[in-house]
Amino acid sequence: MMSLLGDYTSSKLSVFPKSASSFSGESDWVFHFITIVCVVFFIPIAIALFGFAWKYRKAKGEPADSQVDHNTTLELVWSIGPSFLLVVMFYFGARGYLDMRSIPEGAYNVGVDAYKWGWGMNYGNGVIHPELHVVAGEPTKLTMTSKDVIHSLYIPSFRVKKDIVPGRYNYIWFKAMEPSEKVMTDEECKQLADKDKEENLSWDYDARQCTPDGYNFYDLYCAEYCGTNHSEMQTVVVAHETQEELDAWIKKYSSRGPDESPAAYGAKLYERRGCKSCHSIDGSRLVGPSYKGSYGTMRDIVGGSQVKVDENYIRESILNPKAKVAIEQGVAYQPVMPSYKGQLSDDDIYSLIEFIKSLGDASAAEEASESPAEEAAEMASEEAAEAASADAEPVSVE
Amino acid sequence: MSAGSVPSGYEVNDPGYPTPQENYLTNSKGILSWAFTLDHKRIGMMYLIGVSSAFLLGGLLALGIRLHLFAPDGILFNNALFQWLAPDKAPNDIYNQVFTLHGAIMVFLFIIPSIPAALGNFLVPVMLGAKDVAFPRLNLSSFYLWVGGALFFVMALLASGLDTGWTFYTPYSTTTDSSVILATTGAFILGFSSIFTGLNFIVTINTMRPPGMTWFRMPLFLWATYSTSIIQVLATPVLGITLLLLIAERTLHIGIFDPEYNGDPVTFQHFFWFYSHPAVYIMILPAFGIISELISVHSHKRIFGYRFIAYSSIAIALLSFIVWGHHMFTSGMSPITTIIFSALTFTVSVPSAIKVFNWVATMFKGSISLTTPMVYAIAFIFLFTIGGLTGLHLGTLATDMHLHDTYFVVAHFHYVMVGGTVVSFLGGVFHWWPKMVGKMYSEAGGLLSAALVFIGFNLTFLPQFILGSRGMPRRYATYDPEFAPLHQMSTYGALILGAGLFVALFVLLMSLYNGKKAPANPWGGATLEWNCTSPPPFYNFERPPVVGDPYEFGDIRWDTELDRYVKVEPQRERVPSETPAETPAHASE
Repeated sequence: MMSLLGDYTSSKLSVFPKSASSFSGESDWVFHFITIVCVVFFIPIAIALFGFAWKYRKAKGEPADSQVDHNTTLELVWSIGPSFLLVVMFYFGARGYLDMRSIPEGAYNVGVDAYKWGWGMNYGNGVIHPELHVVAGEPTKLTMTSKDVIHSLYIPSFRVKKDIVPGRYNYIWFKAMEPSEKVMTDEECKQLADKDKEENLSWDYDARQCTPDGYNFYDLYCAEYCGTNHSEMQTVVVAHETQEELDAWIKKYSSRGPDESPAAYGAKLYERRGCKSCHSIDGSRLVGPSYKGSYGTMRDIVGGSQVKVDENYIRESILNPKAKVAIEQGVAYQPVMPSYKGQLSDDDIYSLIEFIKSLGDASAAEEASESPAEEAAEMASEEAAEAASADAEPVSVE
Repeated sequence: MSAGSVPSGYEVNDPGYPTPQENYLTNSKGILSWAFTLDHKRIGMMYLIGVSSAFLLGGLLALGIRLHLFAPDGILFNNALFQWLAPDKAPNDIYNQVFTLHGAIMVFLFIIPSIPAALGNFLVPVMLGAKDVAFPRLNLSSFYLWVGGALFFVMALLASGLDTGWTFYTPYSTTTDSSVILATTGAFILGFSSIFTGLNFIVTINTMRPPGMTWFRMPLFLWATYSTSIIQVLATPVLGITLLLLIAERTLHIGIFDPEYNGDPVTFQHFFWFYSHPAVYIMILPAFGIISELISVHSHKRIFGYRFIAYSSIAIALLSFIVWGHHMFTSGMSPITTIIFSALTFTVSVPSAIKVFNWVATMFKGSISLTTPMVYAIAFIFLFTIGGLTGLHLGTLATDMHLHDTYFVVAHFHYVMVGGTVVSFLGGVFHWWPKMVGKMYSEAGGLLSAALVFIGFNLTFLPQFILGSRGMPRRYATYDPEFAPLHQMSTYGALILGAGLFVALFVLLMSLYNGKKAPANPWGGATLEWNCTSPPPFYNFERPPVVGDPYEFGDIRWDTELDRYVKVEPQRERVPSETPAETPAHASE
């Protein structure tokens, strides 16, 4: 879990999270305006309510002092009077809303893919990462779609929210006003990430108050109920100082490095692209089957037949997940995985397959037991697993 | 004033106490005499037991939610007991099912039927001075439809739970493997129950008003019931059709709502809220009716602005049909549609505000008795005003973008639904309890329950306004640690609120055993139901009651000798031989 508010609000008693976008000033101003109007109406009502109840208490049977039952002038005044204030509220609300709906031309465009239960921010050229990175002071436009059910993108500090509806694009834009600070050097980050690897943990945004790249951040929540892990569907927004800094960050995640093994890169994709929220690598049953030791095994699928978990099956399961739904211990998994067609390159899929292989390869073990090269094969798979875990850079957010 | 001080030429009208035979509770015996009864009072009592059980179940689920949310990572459903009860479910799944069932049970089984079906059934004919509703058999069938719908909900709970939220939003509801079909079938059946009740009241109020009771001599509770019935009859079919379409989409993939089959999920939201926004007023309009009665009777003063209150009920009923879009400001409607819906939404706040002003003005220079019903009524005005005013933050577009789907919304609608409907329901039950069962409850116990409910409720939901504006989304099973203190306050509040409700239940049940006999008119009310004995005889009135002004307290006097309120009327000359043929009320309109 992330904890941020303690850091970016002025006090524990603050009504709002930090105001950090070009909209939040107006939104807060309108909120306070309405609240003041409400209080101005509420206090006299409450005083009259309790005051009359106390002042006009009488013994049983004593008649009331007055039986006046209408006063048309008074009633018209309190019916029509407040309407003017309502018009003012409506006007300010609509004005602020139109600002949010008028997307400036030339805004920096990020694609957003929402799925159960994670985020894929698409920076173009195949760079997809769960964190949202933007440039402070520049308008950013999000083109959002969902792969499964309705989600909703909500950044409290920016006071923006928009539902993400499958089957259509919804848009939102904002201008982050303050750049995120770099609170940890790359060195420190690397040390912490290495420590995580040893203990097989993912990056703890909550405890460290910064991203794995060392920036502090704003929360980003899913606000439309979307099933089991709705409350875990969170990520972060980082506002960079300059476009160059953002470009450098994007480049860092652009693709598999020249000397990076496919299995190690597959491990990164597993973290970044949301596989992690449904498939475990320690054998526990989540929403989907665990990857651990699955490669090369035979698997029951819905419809009564069996299929061998090999390259083709994994590829098919990534591109067309509902084709062969696994059954484990007599219980079928829910066919809820979205298709990654067009989302992953061939190299990405290959890397993921290599990563899954590295988590225990039953077919290799089988072959090994038949051949004298048993030890060699085992060693090879162990090495791959080591490589995978050593280079894995967990970035997904819990 | 004692009976002796009645001026000459006046007569004291006091129905006294019922004899054992003429009381509707005792005039026939045995379980079958209840199961097949056509008496609106017995059906009302059965509804009261039914909706109260639903409320108890929904309330326990609410306590489960609050206990789970006591810590950021959740407590209650992480417990080993739940792992044993539902071995293949994660704590998050259990939480999701619990909040869904809490919402669905409270909305469909409790809040919508509570006042119209339970109190309305009992009171509408008695307030009209009629023997029964227009269609007694339809009335009984509506109760059994309610039971049938409730059974489907229980089946859904026992089958594989329900985890869609009470709103059944697509495409989640068309793809989840929980019991969506059982629950929507239940809601569909409950819709028929609701339509039958509404239809019955419309016909009853139109045709069975006694001679002399013009529209503007009707108690305001009847105006509220009438407006509610209009919504029930007109809006509920839309929900029925929507739920059928949802079932068809789930089973046949017809492609209306599910984008996988070229449907549009937002269409579902339009259909759903076209019913469910008016339904919000099915929940609150009858509460307005109750409060109008309570405030006037316990202040012993004419209701202020009778016509404005009556018209505002009708205005709310009509406006409720054109504001559904405010549930969808963030869903991606076109800007112009969104702005129009925002403007329309503000119009509803005017008639609601009128009512609040009128109630407070009614108390001015009254003769106020701080009885349990009156204290609940005052609590209602306080809480409903907060609920209504915070609706302005949500109707305003710029702020709604931030607050939508956060705890601010949760707090707002609980202030309206619980602070409004539930508190007025409790006030109404305490007010009419002596009439319904013929026993007085312990006033001290009643006041204690009101105090606990008021304190507990505010402690539960005030912190949620802050949670929401600080950005805490709703329907979260786990949350960021910095929200923990406010969540903990809220949980303590829920426990106090729960205790208050149990005290209320206890006080009412105890009155059945050791309550004093209730007189016909324990509060000094002027509406017709106080003219018959408590509990009423089988046919409500021995002779047709004389219709007067429902808020004329001038001839209601406290009689110290009899120790109860009596009615003092000028003696009328008895009509010697023949009575003129009665013209039905609707013919004279």
